[in-house]
Amino acid sequence: MTAQLTLNELAALMKSAAGLTVDPKELANRQDATFADFGLDSLGLLGIVGELENRQGRPMPTDAERCKTPRDFLALVNTANDTVPTTGA
Amino acid sequence: MSSPEERRSVVTGIGVIAPNGVSTETFWKATVEGISVLDRVTREGCEHLPLKVAGEVRGFDPADLIEERYLVQTDRFTHFAMAAANLALDDARLGRADYNDSPFAVGVVTAAGSGGGEFGQRELQRLWGQGSRHVGPYQSIAWFYAASTGQISIRGGFKGPCGVVASDEAGGLDALAHAARTIRRGTDAVVVGAAEAPLAPYSVVCQLGYDDLSKLDDPARAYRPFTSGACGFVPAEGGAMLIVEEEEAAESRGASVRALLAGHAATFTGASLWEESRAGLAHAIRRALEDARCAPEEIDVVFADALGVPAADRAEALALADALGRHASQVPVTAPKTGTGRAYCGAPVLDTAAAVLAMEYGVVPPTPNVVDVCHDLDVVTGRARPAELRTALVLSRGLMGSNAALVLRKGSGSPS
Repeated sequence: MTAQLTLNELAALMKSAAGLTVDPKELANRQDATFADFGLDSLGLLGIVGELENRQGRPMPTDAERCKTPRDFLALVNTANDTVPTTGA
Repeated sequence: MSSPEERRSVVTGIGVIAPNGVSTETFWKATVEGISVLDRVTREGCEHLPLKVAGEVRGFDPADLIEERYLVQTDRFTHFAMAAANLALDDARLGRADYNDSPFAVGVVTAAGSGGGEFGQRELQRLWGQGSRHVGPYQSIAWFYAASTGQISIRGGFKGPCGVVASDEAGGLDALAHAARTIRRGTDAVVVGAAEAPLAPYSVVCQLGYDDLSKLDDPARAYRPFTSGACGFVPAEGGAMLIVEEEEAAESRGASVRALLAGHAATFTGASLWEESRAGLAHAIRRALEDARCAPEEIDVVFADALGVPAADRAEALALADALGRHASQVPVTAPKTGTGRAYCGAPVLDTAAAVLAMEYGVVPPTPNVVDVCHDLDVVTGRARPAELRTALVLSRGLMGSNAALVLRKGSGSPS
């Protein structure tokens, strides 16, 4: 359950949680653009964090919903994943 | 609402999402033809409830007009308002090119009576069914009375004065007055109106406590104001948004001036105290006429509140007699909402839209399902009645005690 969050998954979450159609390639090419540039507002990012927490059954880092860019968000979320001991899978 | 030297407010665009039409054209056609679309409630989760008849908006797909990113974070009442605002902006030919350099010149005002019940019900079901972690963050804004104003403002880039009027059903007219005051203070244009979506199961249950709600199951008999068969009102969803502009600003950009918001007044007389509403409504009519510098005899048509509760209908007929004198029994009175139901705050804005169109086309639309009027009023029933209409009076009352009157004057423009 602690697999690394990918850009593809982030794009899918932006669609399901905030109704945004974002091409994962575009997300990959512009990882330092702000979420606002992609049309994602703070409540939308909060919804994505909530969805990840529900899927993984544990809280995300406290500042996850404050990340400004996809790169920052993936780095924070995935670092957190690394630091949590996994139970296989 | 304005003196000659003041900044006058004119209607330049109309957008309608109503049970009898999800465009202004279809709404007007059904309204003139007196088609009733009242029908059995079909919304999922409502089948077993004692409210049997309502005016549902069917065949409306908000995705046709509004981007998904706005749809996921908004309730159905905001979908209606955003779609209607779109239609109104198109109708007024008011586009980004007109205000790109002056976004602060355009404001947004809506009225709301119940907020986002459907969205709220879904999130509350998640709260109790799955837990607090499953409530989406957009619940914080979607249910909110101000949601439609905010989302229309954000989507259109309107940075002028914005507001929401929460003053009961008559708030639909109060919102138009608020827009006129906003324009008088210097704003060039206001996107203004109201739309409601009160037919989610949660919202319906909230209304079941109203004594004035019609529980009849026959769509042809459920809502018949001004008749001896009056047994309450039928609720509806939908509403209308208008583009209201300062007259000179509208003319200078070549917009068609459809009508003038000439006068308004509102009073409050207490929840369901229908006998008392007579004095309140009469006072609102008198003050609206004064505001418009309009003599009672100048009123060419009245769009009645027409609640469908005998005591309320009597109070409205008497209020018209009190305020208009002998003219009250001579002026054509209509209540097209008997064919659609009452969309709470959306209802008087739909009536305002119909009044503007009635003046443009020179015809008083009829009052569906109403025959054998038992008050001293010339209620237009059966077929539409051709008439030269220069001034219209729109009335509205709310279940919680608000009363409002709006006087409209015909504009110089022609139907677009």
